[in-house]
Amino acid sequence: MMRVLIMALMALCAALSARAEPYDGGHARVELISERQVALPGETLYLALDKTLDPDWHVYWRNAGDAGLPPEIFWEDDSPLGERTRDADFTWPLPKLLPVVEGEIMDYGYDDALTLPFQVTIPEDAVGSIRFQGVADYLICKDICIPETAPVSLTIFIGEAQEPNLAHAEKIAAALASAPVPFEGEAVAMLADEETLQLSLAPGEATRLDGQTLRFFPYENEIFHALAQSQSVGANGASLNLPKDPREPLGEALAGVIAATAPDGTRTGYIIRASITDAPLAGTYGTPFRGQSGAASRTSVNLLLLAGLALLGGLVLNLMPCVLPVLTIKAMGMVSAASKGEDAHLRAHGLWYTAGVLISFAALAAAFVALRSMGEFWALGSLLQYPIIVAVLAMGAFLLGLWLLGMFEAGGSLQNLGAASANRGGVIGAFATGALAATAGAPCVGPFVGASLGAVLERPAPEVFFIYLMLGLGQALPFLVLSFVPGLARHLPKPGAWMERVKQFFAFPMFLSAAALLFVLGDQAGTGAVAWLVMGAALVAFGIWALKTAGGRLKPIAMVAGALALIGGLSLPLSTARTLDPSETSSTAYAARYETEPWSPERVAELTAEGRGVFVDFTATWCMICQANKRTTLTKPDVLAAMEAANITFLVADFTNKDPVIAEELKQRGRPGVPMYLLYGPGQHEPALLPQTLSPALMKREIAAVRAD
Amino acid sequence: MNKQNLLLIGGMAAAVCLTVGAMIASTAQGETPALVTGAEAPGFTGLTSTGETISLSDFAGQRVVLEWTNHDCPFVRKHYDGEHTNMQSQQLAANAEDIVWLTIISSAPGKQGHVTPDMANELTTSRGAAPDHVILDESGDIGRAYDAKTTPHMYIIEPDGTLAYQGAIDSIPSARTRDIPTALQYVNAALDSLAAGEEPEVDSSKAYGCSVKY
Repeated sequence: MMRVLIMALMALCAALSARAEPYDGGHARVELISERQVALPGETLYLALDKTLDPDWHVYWRNAGDAGLPPEIFWEDDSPLGERTRDADFTWPLPKLLPVVEGEIMDYGYDDALTLPFQVTIPEDAVGSIRFQGVADYLICKDICIPETAPVSLTIFIGEAQEPNLAHAEKIAAALASAPVPFEGEAVAMLADEETLQLSLAPGEATRLDGQTLRFFPYENEIFHALAQSQSVGANGASLNLPKDPREPLGEALAGVIAATAPDGTRTGYIIRASITDAPLAGTYGTPFRGQSGAASRTSVNLLLLAGLALLGGLVLNLMPCVLPVLTIKAMGMVSAASKGEDAHLRAHGLWYTAGVLISFAALAAAFVALRSMGEFWALGSLLQYPIIVAVLAMGAFLLGLWLLGMFEAGGSLQNLGAASANRGGVIGAFATGALAATAGAPCVGPFVGASLGAVLERPAPEVFFIYLMLGLGQALPFLVLSFVPGLARHLPKPGAWMERVKQFFAFPMFLSAAALLFVLGDQAGTGAVAWLVMGAALVAFGIWALKTAGGRLKPIAMVAGALALIGGLSLPLSTARTLDPSETSSTAYAARYETEPWSPERVAELTAEGRGVFVDFTATWCMICQANKRTTLTKPDVLAAMEAANITFLVADFTNKDPVIAEELKQRGRPGVPMYLLYGPGQHEPALLPQTLSPALMKREIAAVRAD
Repeated sequence: MNKQNLLLIGGMAAAVCLTVGAMIASTAQGETPALVTGAEAPGFTGLTSTGETISLSDFAGQRVVLEWTNHDCPFVRKHYDGEHTNMQSQQLAANAEDIVWLTIISSAPGKQGHVTPDMANELTTSRGAAPDHVILDESGDIGRAYDAKTTPHMYIIEPDGTLAYQGAIDSIPSARTRDIPTALQYVNAALDSLAAGEEPEVDSSKAYGCSVKY
């Protein structure tokens, strides 16, 4: 008891003394923070310069853009950090664009707050405590600029066991997690013409940028900061046309950060170092955006091919599970019409249906071209990157399924649809069916269609329209042919009760479509969103049932309950799909996110006895080096693949909360704290102790070494 | 024509409008001029703090220095205030060598650094500055013609009207006066080279400072 009390007191003292009040520099509260209260001699850990800014004020990135200056720290004499910490010493979070004068002056920086982590190595001979003292210089601007100076200091105690400062560690972790990571694929930059520096990222790594809007932030000033960067992103990698500043010479490489903004607003940063070449990168969008006129002949040849592909793709769209049921309805109408020998109506229907499809595709093309001109790259399939749209589509598919099953009637029954062909309203019905078929096809854009859509990404607007319309024509073609070749329609079967059965049958592909969409939703927004959607679906089904069967004295109650259930069932899952963000899931769910198991000495013994290898990651959410290693190395597919190939199981020992077994293991290996990485070769009982800082190359080397043993 | 047909035509018209709008939007694109060292410096005419109208062409045959300024900007104050009075020294040296020094204020009315003619003259007197003229470029036209982005932002124009230097006043981008003695004074160095009939070693650099308050 006494011991606990003393320890608590010590922790409190450490917390109090390590916790300096933030200094008010004028428009920012500035503080030097550390991930540890107590550190080990020789340990490398993260400190950070932490700033909270007054509203509307901002500070700058390592390259401030056209005006402004980045923050730096000047240390007092004899600091283990040298004279000053600046520029590349810091891990800079992804900057924002700060337009000062639209199209003329652009700055790069941060508003609200900035946490700037940097590494420090505690001297091996440090005892007692170590003090970091200096002055942080930074320029802070709103419409005017003020250079502010803030004295910063921090004391870290030196001890035999690491003591985290959880609040500060969390802040530093968040800054490191949002910091750009090195882009792993190939990147080159070439002068496309005198005004354009084209930055190309090879397909493969760059494919994950598909559907995102890119912005390049240079470390130097080779480009005009304030001008737009036209871009192509897709199956051929990514290509940005950067407006070259002719005053600035090009070095050996173009270095900087690419910010990729997903349709849902999520931003990811990639550190780019593109060597300067004079030939485009093979397999990328080799031609600059502006130079379209030069490639006219090649374009026209490809355009015909693309049109053919698009037509075929449109035909295939008809077989997609989400379109097929819609078409069935249409087919039923035609069967009815054909049986009555109404050829003229049949033709009118075919035409109106085609019009419906084509206009929908034209609208999609228009939306695409409009978004492209705003710098947003977007194609049919990328709609599915928004969880909210996936949720709406899944719910829609479910409702359509219910309708096909006959649970409720909307827009008239089959017989009515057939009969409608005799009156004038029928053409509107045919038009609507065409529009519905085209819309329903959107989520089902298969790889076939995707190819032709991807190819028009950087085409001029008229070509985009042409390709989209060909796609639509392809989709409408079967019905067009049916309604115009007189003999053909007569071969259609006679209408009858089988039609209702076929309709009901098609409810099941619809439910399967909904299920497939749930898979997507689960990946995007987590299992919670899926559960909410399923619950919503149940509510909706109940609501429909209640409304349909409401009767007698309970009728008003049933009606209200049904309506409430309908509204709730429709809105609840959609609101959760919007707010749930998979990146918000805590990092403690570490083991679950990639295929790892929790560590225990018994599990290691078991695995090594089976002749398998084991890798153990001793980690904690408050350990920044651990998180950095996880990001740069332990989540990389190539590293994980190498482990799997070498028959090595990945175990995680999570030291986030105190754990005597883990503490014992750390002590035994002579490591008083995390991170610690152990690698057991297949069947070996004694592990290799890996360094504290990992890299993919090092991991692969170590894995190859234990494998060779 | 019934209601449904009207709806249909309306829908088609909307689709066409969308299409045309998108096509127009995709073709419209802005361009910014890039001023390259060695190219002809853009001509300009401006009103000075003493009420004169002057043009760049008035100084043909003379070497001209352009200095963008904003007296409240800390980076400008770095070079005017303190023990070094770096900017004033350079102006005086230029006077002695018959170099025309034009100080230009491109701050828009109501923005930081905007001054009346009287205030501009008062600033020149109180700071001991020695420009040949102070040009009040309220519209920002001259600033934009030179792509002036910061205060200070410096330009040197040769007697033949070509641009010989553009960029920062010196090599250490900071607002700290103590950095002045250790910095390489780009404008001074370029003027020395030009006087000796040589090309400046650094003929272009990245200007640093506050943004010009257009």
